Amino acid sequence: MLKDKIEKHLLEIQKPSRYIGGEVGSVIKDKSKVDVRFAFCFPDTYDIGMSHLGMKILYSLTNERENYWCERCFAPGLDFEAIMRENDIPLYALESLDPIRDFDFIGFTMQYELSYSTVLNMLDLAGIPIFAKDRTNELTQIVVAGGPCVCNPEPLADFFDLFILGEGEEVNLELMDLYWEMKQQGADRISFLRRAAQIGGVYVPQFYEFSYKEDGTIAKVTPKEGAPAVVKKRIIKNFDQVYYPENFVVPFTEIVHDRVSVEVLRGCIRGCRFCQAGFIYRPFREKSTDTICRETRCLCENTGYDEVSLASLSTSDHFDIDNMLTKLIEYTEGERINLSLPSLRVDNFSEALLEKIKRVRKSGLTFAAEGGTQRLRDVINKNVSEEEIMSTCRIAFEGGYSAVKLYFMMGLPTETDEDIVGIAELAQRIVDLFYSIENRPKGRGVQVSVSCATFVPKPFTPFQFEPQDTREEIERKQKLLLDSVKTKKIKVSYHDPNVSQLEVILAKGDRRLCQVIYAAWKKGCKFDSWSEHYHFDKWLEAFAECGVDPAFYANRRFGYDEILPWDHLDYFVTKDFLIRENKTAHQSVTTPNCRLKCSACGVSKEMGGACFDKGKSCF
Amino acid sequence: MIRVRAVFEKKGRAKYISHLDLNRCMLRTFRRSRLPIWYTEGFNPHPYYSFALALSLGFESNCEIMDFNITDDNMSMEEIRDRLNAVMPEGMRIVSAAPQRLKITAITSARYSFSLVTEDAAGLFEAVKTTLAQPELLIEKKTKKGIKTVDIRPDMKVISCEATDTGVDMVMDLPAGTQTNYNPTLFVEVLKKFTQIPFTAEKFCRTGIFCENNEIFS
Ligand code: SF4
Repeated sequence: MLKDKIEKHLLEIQKPSRYIGGEVGSVIKDKSKVDVRFAFCFPDTYDIGMSHLGMKILYSLTNERENYWCERCFAPGLDFEAIMRENDIPLYALESLDPIRDFDFIGFTMQYELSYSTVLNMLDLAGIPIFAKDRTNELTQIVVAGGPCVCNPEPLADFFDLFILGEGEEVNLELMDLYWEMKQQGADRISFLRRAAQIGGVYVPQFYEFSYKEDGTIAKVTPKEGAPAVVKKRIIKNFDQVYYPENFVVPFTEIVHDRVSVEVLRGCIRGCRFCQAGFIYRPFREKSTDTICRETRCLCENTGYDEVSLASLSTSDHFDIDNMLTKLIEYTEGERINLSLPSLRVDNFSEALLEKIKRVRKSGLTFAAEGGTQRLRDVINKNVSEEEIMSTCRIAFEGGYSAVKLYFMMGLPTETDEDIVGIAELAQRIVDLFYSIENRPKGRGVQVSVSCATFVPKPFTPFQFEPQDTREEIERKQKLLLDSVKTKKIKVSYHDPNVSQLEVILAKGDRRLCQVIYAAWKKGCKFDSWSEHYHFDKWLEAFAECGVDPAFYANRRFGYDEILPWDHLDYFVTKDFLIRENKTAHQSVTTPNCRLKCSACGVSKEMGGACFDKGKSCF
Repeated sequence: MIRVRAVFEKKGRAKYISHLDLNRCMLRTFRRSRLPIWYTEGFNPHPYYSFALALSLGFESNCEIMDFNITDDNMSMEEIRDRLNAVMPEGMRIVSAAPQRLKITAITSARYSFSLVTEDAAGLFEAVKTTLAQPELLIEKKTKKGIKTVDIRPDMKVISCEATDTGVDMVMDLPAGTQTNYNPTLFVEVLKKFTQIPFTAEKFCRTGIFCENNEIFS
């Protein structure tokens, strides 16, 4: 039995409870009564993957169906991987401890580009052919992927049988239903894929042929086998009523987000022009306060967690935020539960609510300012003014805080040295503000942390056409920022520009990258998001060997009329709108948020009606 | 307020829950049970519960001890036990809940069973006998003050030692409690000095916790 083989080695590795299942809340079924088995794979370690909300939702949802069984699977740490390879332990799922190669579906969630090489490693560990074309024509082992990254799935196209675009709550079950129906009829893989391609939201990459122009850009994308020319993403129309789990798997070992997480809204009204989530998850939909409170209570009681956090892109944009927080705080305080409130703007709250939030909020104060000057913030449509930043900092300092963390991006479109120096100046004004406040926290100095990421242009954003700064340029700007900071009260940190460069290539790449990813994995690349495992030199070798120029994807401006690798996928936001927004950005003009004024991005047309009615979301 | 002492099992997959993780795991178990557990007072109140002895990662046990307080004086021990068992993770079970009788400091020793597995069962059995016949068994033990050489033989009480088809099954008592704690792996370490025969030690299980005069701690 595989279990005995695994257990033989568990005490030789770190945190063994991650590899043996048995957690409270995990779902065990009788194999003989199950028709379709789905291995939900997260291409990173347990600690990261178990924190992912989407997995929790789809896990519970699938397992509600008696004859379907969804299990979890993560990438093993390097220590366990070595043992697995040495002892012929194939990658297995945590509920049954059965090898995932025997499953009907092997589904990956693609949350970040730097996990692509890990997918290949997991398929290899599982003993599943890495290229879709090498898999048997039998109806089994269907390798699928979903998640935000598959809005441009082309760099992964050769490895997957199909991609699921948009939200999985409905389409996942439709796929499994079709599979079970065809399995009973004795159908083969190709005929299943042909019919699957007719389901809304399902993209079967082998049915699309790409041809290229001499300059390397795409000439044409031709659908085959009756597959639709354009595949539309799936979306949940009645968000307040959508399935939400009543229980989570509660891990023994500590994970990154070790708490109950309740989704309060999906999508975002803001339209920051660099933010992919802000566009691909449209329209903005919110749950009612009653639903949020009920789900919070239910999950806290069933899991035993004493911490709950609200999941959303911007919690403060909830239409009933005051009332919702008041009710939640009432419940969590009574039950001695910690309420954590990430992504919360506090500038427009009432005194009374602010008092309550201060009581429950332990984390420091963070701000995503993103740009160092108002001009640049207008370019990126980050609707936060310096006044707001200052007034929130004032409230925070008066309330006893003495540390502020600011997030910025470097290499944004139209950015000049003035904008970089502006970051340092803004941080300095916050330091000055602190010392100007009479009732500031005594006995402590102020600490302003400035964290700078490198801008990564992403598909389905108005900046999808933009080039990324070269590494040399980013390094010059980083140095300029460091030189502009004049006090130890401001601490600057930034990301490795080599990492951001790979991110943009994988985000905006096309099918020709599949070979590069394969070559990089062959050279040992995996866990690229872990700085200690990141080997940019190996990636560069892989690019060179495959004859692919990284700069073509990273540092080239994509034309408005160019066929982009993701143009045949429809995320409801039209390309015309993205072009319009791109032009507006270059004029430093902002676009109002969706609640204030609709900018006709194309989403409401797909939804069949306006997104908002009297300030409340319609879906 | 009732002061409760629970005896619980930690078996099967639960043996991979580390001591640190066990703390978190019990906190959530208490919350799921919704028992009125007593919270500490002060700046950062938290539910109070404590374990008598730490158990090594990978060891099973029949007899782990956990103390806590229940604020409802009218609650029966059976109810406390059953409500916890209804929400315990797989492999863990409250065997009994009873009022706390002795102080934790009364613990003097613990009993362990384990198996030595080898190709050469007879040879290993001889080696175990030779080892046990030594007047002293010196090992290097890490303490807070650095590495120290100690003789574990006088404090080691062999309860049984049987040859099996696959090796040797052993049961022994070792000092435990707030003063000295010996782990049965210390014996395994020493045995390796007396024999070249390759073997592995497995199925470690704590089977009893005792105080003076071999009385079962409760
Ligand atoms: S259609 Fe209008 S309101 Fe709806 S998401 Fe697009 S811009 Fe916002």
